[in-house]
Amino acid sequence: MSSQTTTTTTTTSSASVPTVGASTSSTPAQNVDLSKHPSGIIPTLQNIVSTVNMATELDLKAIALGARNAEYNPKRFAAVIMRIREPKTTALIFKSGKMVCTGAKSEDASKYAARKYARIIQKLDFPARFTDFKIQNIVGSCDVKFPIKLELLHNAHTSFTNYEPEIFPGLIYKMIQPKVVLLIFVSGKIVLTGAKVREEIYEAFENIYPVLTAFKKNMAIANQ
Amino acid sequence: MAANNKQNYYELYRRSSVGEALTDTLEELLMNQYISSSLYQKILSQFDKSINEALSNTVKSKTTFKGNLHTYRFCDNVWTFILDNASFKTDGVEVKVKRVKIVACDANVQDQPPAK
Repeated sequence: MSSQTTTTTTTTSSASVPTVGASTSSTPAQNVDLSKHPSGIIPTLQNIVSTVNMATELDLKAIALGARNAEYNPKRFAAVIMRIREPKTTALIFKSGKMVCTGAKSEDASKYAARKYARIIQKLDFPARFTDFKIQNIVGSCDVKFPIKLELLHNAHTSFTNYEPEIFPGLIYKMIQPKVVLLIFVSGKIVLTGAKVREEIYEAFENIYPVLTAFKKNMAIANQ
Repeated sequence: MAANNKQNYYELYRRSSVGEALTDTLEELLMNQYISSSLYQKILSQFDKSINEALSNTVKSKTTFKGNLHTYRFCDNVWTFILDNASFKTDGVEVKVKRVKIVACDANVQDQPPAK
């Protein structure tokens, strides 16, 4: 058919598209608002956990049978586990009508997903409402791109840190203000969790960044 | 259905080609009054038992399959999968199908009667 010619033209035109993969990483990118992110690094949000109350009693078995992509094994867990592909999330749906939505990459996506689940429940003829939506946890991560002396950091910040490499290779840093927990790895990879709003993730990272630079592991190359 | 039997067996193989052939034949015999309905029942439950045992004990060939998961469900200990563009491989022979529904029950039926 004539479709062959069209395919060849599209492939040649796509060759000029600049590098795509780099845009998602938390590198000191070109257009970072340095007043908000003095480190030049913006942590990437990885997971949002939210809850919502649909304010109606639910028949979980009917939901498991009526909805797609649902699991219900009352012997193991007293909730229906349901997934949707867009936004890629998982919901735990309880008999009380309360729901937990996990896996979204942004607050808006989490709310949108929760609404989609509530719609599915409504379509199964339950008078589901959408009340008390709340973001419960935000997880972010980033890479400072230099190795860190965890042992020394632990010794200097003992009141905040927990470091037992034989149990877990990362250093656990419990920041008080904002109340965020950070997992800091030798590699310079950082995980931040426990935040209710994304600003807390950003604030916690900006707080820890100068500390990390102070405990930078000296490498043979690039020493400033 | 298999009331006084010690163990319940899945009746789902009655809908396989052997099972359907047997059911058709038995129904014909029953209609023409060559056999009683109790014998009819007894033969079918014996079939359930035999095919379940045969499949687990004597069938050695294996099939692997893969495809894109379109939908899944787990309820009443039964998994249901709908696969798109699935391919089944049995002894090196590959069969492809656009869409297939897989219903999987737990082989170790405990207390529950077979789910239908």
